[in-house]
Amino acid sequence: MLELKRALDAKGHCLLEMPSGTGKTTTLLSLIVAYMKAHPLDLTKLVYCSRTVPEIEKVMEELRKLMNYYEKEMGMEQNILGLALSSRKNLCIHPSVSKEREGKVVDGRCYSLTASFVRARHAADDAVPICEFYEGFDAHGKEFPLPPGVYNLDDLKEYGQTKRWCPYFLARHTIIHANIVVYSYHYLLDPKIAEVVSKEISKSSVVVFDEAHNIDNVCIDSMSVKITKRLLDKCSNSITILETTISNMKENDSKRLEKEYKRLVEGLRDATIARETDMALVNPVLPSEILEEAVPGTIRTAEHFVAFLKRVVEYIKTRLRVQHVVQESPAGFLRDIHTKVCIDRKPLRFTAERLASLIRTLEISDLTDFSPLVTVSHFATLVSAYTKGFTIIIEPFEDRAPTVSNPILYFSCLDSSIAIKPVFNRFQTVVITSGTLSPLDMYPKILDFHPVIMTSFTMTLARPCILPMIVSKGNDQVAMSSRYETREDTAVIRNYGNLLVEVAAAVPDGIVCFFTSYLYLETIVSSWYDQGIIDQLQRHKLLFIETQDAAETSLALINYIKACDNGRGAVLLSVARGKVSEGIDFDHHLGRAVLMFGIPYVYTQSRILRARLEYLRDQFQIRENDFLTFDAMRHAAQCLGRCMRGKTDYGIMVLADKRFSRADKRSKLPKWIQEHLKDTNCNLSTEECVQICKRWLRQMAQPFSREDQLGISLLTLEQLQSEEMQKKILQRAQGV
Amino acid sequence: MADEDETKEYRWESGYEKTWEAIKEDDDGLLESNVADLVARAKRKRAALKATGAIQLGMMRHLFVVVDASACMFLQDLKPTRFLCVLKLLEVFVHEFFDLNPISQLGILTTKMKRSEQITVLAGNQKKHIEALQQLKDLSCEGEPSLQNSLERAMNGLKNMPAHSSREILVLFGSLTTCDPGDIQKTIKALKDNNIRVSIIGLAAEVRICREIAKKTGGTYNVLIDDHHLKELILSQVQPPAVAGSLEASLVKMGFPGGTPSVNDGTSDSSADHAPAYCLCHIDSETSSLMGPNGYNCPQCGSRYCELPVECKQCGLTLVSAPHLARSYHHLFPIKPFMERAQVPDTTHCFACAKLFLEAETNVYECENCHQIVCLDCDLFIRETLHTCPGCASDPVTAQMKTN
Repeated sequence: MLELKRALDAKGHCLLEMPSGTGKTTTLLSLIVAYMKAHPLDLTKLVYCSRTVPEIEKVMEELRKLMNYYEKEMGMEQNILGLALSSRKNLCIHPSVSKEREGKVVDGRCYSLTASFVRARHAADDAVPICEFYEGFDAHGKEFPLPPGVYNLDDLKEYGQTKRWCPYFLARHTIIHANIVVYSYHYLLDPKIAEVVSKEISKSSVVVFDEAHNIDNVCIDSMSVKITKRLLDKCSNSITILETTISNMKENDSKRLEKEYKRLVEGLRDATIARETDMALVNPVLPSEILEEAVPGTIRTAEHFVAFLKRVVEYIKTRLRVQHVVQESPAGFLRDIHTKVCIDRKPLRFTAERLASLIRTLEISDLTDFSPLVTVSHFATLVSAYTKGFTIIIEPFEDRAPTVSNPILYFSCLDSSIAIKPVFNRFQTVVITSGTLSPLDMYPKILDFHPVIMTSFTMTLARPCILPMIVSKGNDQVAMSSRYETREDTAVIRNYGNLLVEVAAAVPDGIVCFFTSYLYLETIVSSWYDQGIIDQLQRHKLLFIETQDAAETSLALINYIKACDNGRGAVLLSVARGKVSEGIDFDHHLGRAVLMFGIPYVYTQSRILRARLEYLRDQFQIRENDFLTFDAMRHAAQCLGRCMRGKTDYGIMVLADKRFSRADKRSKLPKWIQEHLKDTNCNLSTEECVQICKRWLRQMAQPFSREDQLGISLLTLEQLQSEEMQKKILQRAQGV
Repeated sequence: MADEDETKEYRWESGYEKTWEAIKEDDDGLLESNVADLVARAKRKRAALKATGAIQLGMMRHLFVVVDASACMFLQDLKPTRFLCVLKLLEVFVHEFFDLNPISQLGILTTKMKRSEQITVLAGNQKKHIEALQQLKDLSCEGEPSLQNSLERAMNGLKNMPAHSSREILVLFGSLTTCDPGDIQKTIKALKDNNIRVSIIGLAAEVRICREIAKKTGGTYNVLIDDHHLKELILSQVQPPAVAGSLEASLVKMGFPGGTPSVNDGTSDSSADHAPAYCLCHIDSETSSLMGPNGYNCPQCGSRYCELPVECKQCGLTLVSAPHLARSYHHLFPIKPFMERAQVPDTTHCFACAKLFLEAETNVYECENCHQIVCLDCDLFIRETLHTCPGCASDPVTAQMKTN
């Protein structure tokens, strides 16, 4: 809190590592809200970015508690408005649209009901369907701001129902004057969306990125494009549709096309004004001077533009027809496209914008079919706008299946700072926080910013509630490691199996295991099956496996939870970068132990990764190995952190790889784990590990009440105010 | 991790112990007073925990003890094995149980191979239980246990017990997993509906379902640290629990079989008016034989029983003897904990045992009612064995108050 205050005072950015379950969210919220109250001019808005919808809901819950407390203590209504924003899918209350499952379909249908031209058409002809909720909002909602309070997604929906206003647009409109906004990363990082949603947030805001350990990957993903052959085929179809629509329109209503032409001459900027509903087709980040320019003549008329698009698509198709892997820079790509199909850089830049305009003009209301074409147009714009920090890789087949031709073009962002730079530049304070950010010094480098505060906090605990151990060898003293040379070794696999069986016999309820990759998981499980280890395991617990199929995995998860709940006990085998390792908490009995089999390095043969590593080395002077270790350890820490979700929780963390005990790996674990990792627990055999587990579990099972924590990890008001404590706090403050 | 104390382990098996840290010298460089202090504190702690004040206790207890006999009970972390250790402690438990709860009944179940077996039926005869426990020692432990099966089984046994008695299940659970045929939540609900409290003692680690069962049914859940702790945990179940909720006070019809002059030692003088008859307790089993004139006749229907207390199989009357009731009586009026205070100069000796207070004994204990001062040993003796304060008992005024 102290550190955060400093960062706010200094109006700089900060990087905080706090263990999960220690009240991270509450701390952030309460201090920032208090700061907002004390300095209403310096700090006007809090933007809290979280990853998933459940996390957003959790934040809102905390905020509500805080507000209730304020009300109780201050005895009056608080003048603070907090709200959550999510996609249309989660907010729609239209009777039929809201029933759609897929986000894209909801977006498309919403657009077809609320786009400006649809509404214009409705005005002329009542038969054209529109969304009554949006109409309601448009008619009245804008004048009456939301009363102060805390609104989560359900509250918004309810409010929308009673007023008959569209909650989604209401929320988007309210962002401008709300004090606290909670939404997903993408609304801020993804340039395509940020432009629309977050444009009007003032500079004197605080931005908090929670669970931000993967923020660089989010940045990169939001700027990268992947084009497959199927996508291109769909593009061709869409282009044909465009052509027919244009020719139809020409016959019926050529005036409109002319109007558009004129408008394009005047410049694009004006065209986007007052069209807030047409957000599905916004351009990627473009330097704003481009927007001021007029669209180049070559693509100004609709037919020309469609022909142009066709050429681009055909060109990419020919590029995909390669037999070997090609890697080139955007500049090289531009030169090539110029020589082969005579397309200049300039029109290419305007592709996305022009396509959006065209679709608007043509009044195509169902956008879902055009998403492939939009992707290609984004690609074209990005490739021409950025020459640095990107690379193009064309792979004719996947590495795993070299015989199957499956060409893919990756337009990959190498520099995570590109996407986040506008955020850092625009807001006075950006707080990046997570349970696992170690090693901290890496983030400023790869995100290219200068934090004023960079701290890792540990937990004050009344009892040692985590037990990290590094198991380096089996009972037969063969070293355990997932190193490439030894990973196929039966002795290593058997030792891993024995470790799991013995831990499963000693640990109650749920155990979660993480492997380095799906491939490795599969090979290990099949050889465990041959060695009879699976049978032994099933004597103690049920076995569930995460697969790449999301539906299958969620089914496995549901049953895993069931098995833990009714006392049968279960083991979940999952993968370090999979869905399980990222979003799902295994608190209390669901995760009494986490086993990490091997170090979760990324797949180093991937060309995209190699390109990125090279870029990092050249631009930021980060050695490849440093980055790989950093990346592996943060994922390992992330996996380990799954089992600890609070102070009353406890869990075992087993790192089963010899290499973890090396200083370079160990020191990269978060401080709160390192603190509990004693030297004596760093080089254990399976048996020693199980012995320690058993003893520790018995200790942890002893009754643990609130009173035990009082004075140590919980403080009463008197204790907080006591002289001794004040001294301690002061000491700590000076020490930092 | 290293601070636990397993005396039975070999030194090389146990972790490091910093035994020297626990010892502190007093001002003269002596250890003695400190050691005495440590002992006293430990003793008091246990005694103080039990003193609960005036709450209604379930004196008539019907308890099923479920012993896990699955493969994991062969583990040797309790010496010689978990199973043998548990059985040994259970023998002590059974003995103490009947000593403190004479009008209660006990039954024993085991669970293994996903099934549950009945070892003894609910009965008040401790000899039979102890015999059964001794026979169990040869049982091989195998398979997985089933919590649900054993709870269901115990529930079936307890369901029909009269409502004024306290129905309890004590599970000694070594395994970390349970193999159940159906939804255990339903069983928990049924247990709750039947007012059965389930206490569980885990032998390995905290299993969530056990905690849940214990919590929902109002029992306790504990996990042992070592065998001493286990003994403590098991023996803590001897004390009758407070009645859950407000059971309506009801009159219980009881029969006091006559004709046996000496109940306490079980032998009886020959009595002419007792004709030989079959004992109803054993009439179903093959070992039944014609009883001699010894035994107890139900005053209502005249059935013969070889032991008390028992519920008459014929007419359902609870048969007890007067001393049984008398022995349970003190549970109704647990004495309040004595106040610990520094030695007062004007009392020189313990009221109970007349021992002179020495300089080394820093603390003495005072009864809240009669303000008599006793020494530590007497305090514990009063609490654990006597169950009545000698000071209050000898003072006619307070004695009068208490009986009212």
